[in-house]
Amino acid sequence: MNNTFHSQRFGLLFKKTLLERPTQMFGFTGLMLALALIIYAITKTISGFVMAQQLTFLCGLAGGSYFIASLVFGNFTSNAIGSSYLTLPASHFEKWLCGILIAGVLYPGIFILFYRLMDVSFVSEFHNSLDPAAPFYKELYQSVNIFSFNGFFAWRVYSIFPFAVSAMLTGSLYFNNAVLIKVSLVICSIVVVVFLLNHLFAKILLGSAVQHTWPFHWADVQVGKDYGSIELPEKIAGTTLYALSYAFPVILFVASFIRLREKEF
Amino acid sequence: MIQIENLSFGYKRKKLLYKNLTLSLQEGSIYGLLGKNGAGKSTLLKNLVGLLFPTSGSITINGYSPKKRLPSFLQTIYFIPEEVNIPGLTIHKYMKLFAPFYPAFNEVQFFNYLDQLDVKDQGKLNTLSFGQQKKFIIAFALACNTKILLLDEPTNGLDIPSKIRFRKLISSVFDSERMIFISTHQIRDLDNLIDRVVIVDNGTLLLNASITEIAQKLCFKTIPDEPDKDKILYAEESLKGYSVVMENSDNENSKIDLEQLFNGITENPEKAKVIFQ
Repeated sequence: MNNTFHSQRFGLLFKKTLLERPTQMFGFTGLMLALALIIYAITKTISGFVMAQQLTFLCGLAGGSYFIASLVFGNFTSNAIGSSYLTLPASHFEKWLCGILIAGVLYPGIFILFYRLMDVSFVSEFHNSLDPAAPFYKELYQSVNIFSFNGFFAWRVYSIFPFAVSAMLTGSLYFNNAVLIKVSLVICSIVVVVFLLNHLFAKILLGSAVQHTWPFHWADVQVGKDYGSIELPEKIAGTTLYALSYAFPVILFVASFIRLREKEF
Repeated sequence: MIQIENLSFGYKRKKLLYKNLTLSLQEGSIYGLLGKNGAGKSTLLKNLVGLLFPTSGSITINGYSPKKRLPSFLQTIYFIPEEVNIPGLTIHKYMKLFAPFYPAFNEVQFFNYLDQLDVKDQGKLNTLSFGQQKKFIIAFALACNTKILLLDEPTNGLDIPSKIRFRKLISSVFDSERMIFISTHQIRDLDNLIDRVVIVDNGTLLLNASITEIAQKLCFKTIPDEPDKDKILYAEESLKGYSVVMENSDNENSKIDLEQLFNGITENPEKAKVIFQ
């Protein structure tokens, strides 16, 4: 018997994980899609299409995956559930892969599909509501477009998404209860510490002229009455961004696998 | 076969619960693991199934190291913890999702065991009472036909008729290729069920003996007068005088009282050690 990966066993595990708590898994996915719809509709009315598209995409993809990742390994709230999960005859790799696929592939896939349908519907509705004979028809028509999955903002969200999923998956294997709150608090603490340390280092290196800083990116300085921005050289900035967006999540994904293998309960 | 060699385990490194525990358990027996509250019974079971890892020493079960939790190992062992928490599924749905992981699972046996334990198909399992859920999981575990079955306080939450049904069922499904390891502090629940007794206290193994061996070496009887403390392992006042546990130097036949045995072994471990050496 293959103790690392067996396709039939993995299929059973995947099915079991989805159907064991259908209300939690499908209910949550449904809730996230409903929330996305509400956020889009409200933001569109208040702040316009671009803001609605961006906010919904960020909350739905990165936020939703973050929440759903807290469920897939959230088996340690009680002795019975934890024991049942860890002693189920499937390998650590299969259990880990199952979590990754649900939070990192299945949910995002469903969300993106829903998002596209929703976006197309709203944009079409807007286009259809315009009067072709009205002045500025063309300008108004062209001012609202379907959200680009290959645009700058989408790529920003894609870089947040693996970090959110990997952090939550790893965190949910360290904390047994109130995973969502505890992991969020840890992430917030790390962000605050990184911002403060970055600012401190900038002050030490550049002196009191430093006004504002953004970790691993830029520092605003004031010299006399003039303001300027010191940025990292493009190559280093690119490498740093790449490391933070992809290398760090990969480390966290590996850490979650190791933690699952070493998990005692 | 379970081989525990010099097992040390503690939830904190400096405060070990088990120190150099060595124990060998064979298939073809129903073991009763007895111990006080907090003696480490559940901890031992969790070490056996790979939920906790030994601080030092080793556990080998049929050639596997439990801490690796390999699927081929987990298919051969089923652990029922003290608490049960069953998802909101029907009996059939639960079986369809969980049974395929256990190659020796037998559906006919499963429904037969449910019937014997008086568990009715009443919709979703999470709506059943705690006792019914526990009986359901016992039936499922038995139908998985794993070589080793670990039960942690299985009778907790069961009413008196259910305890009797549980005992009957365990006796009926037992065969020479299986090992059943039952941990409990409700000692009377194991009467006439187990054929070996393991007693642990303060992280130490005090006794690992068969019922036959215990009956040969100890005598359980009631005497009218206060016994000589040097000759007895345990004594308690009863209506007819004193119920005592003492060395069976005259080869008398007596019925083992597990509760008195447990009290005797835990109160006089040194004396018990000499008797069972």
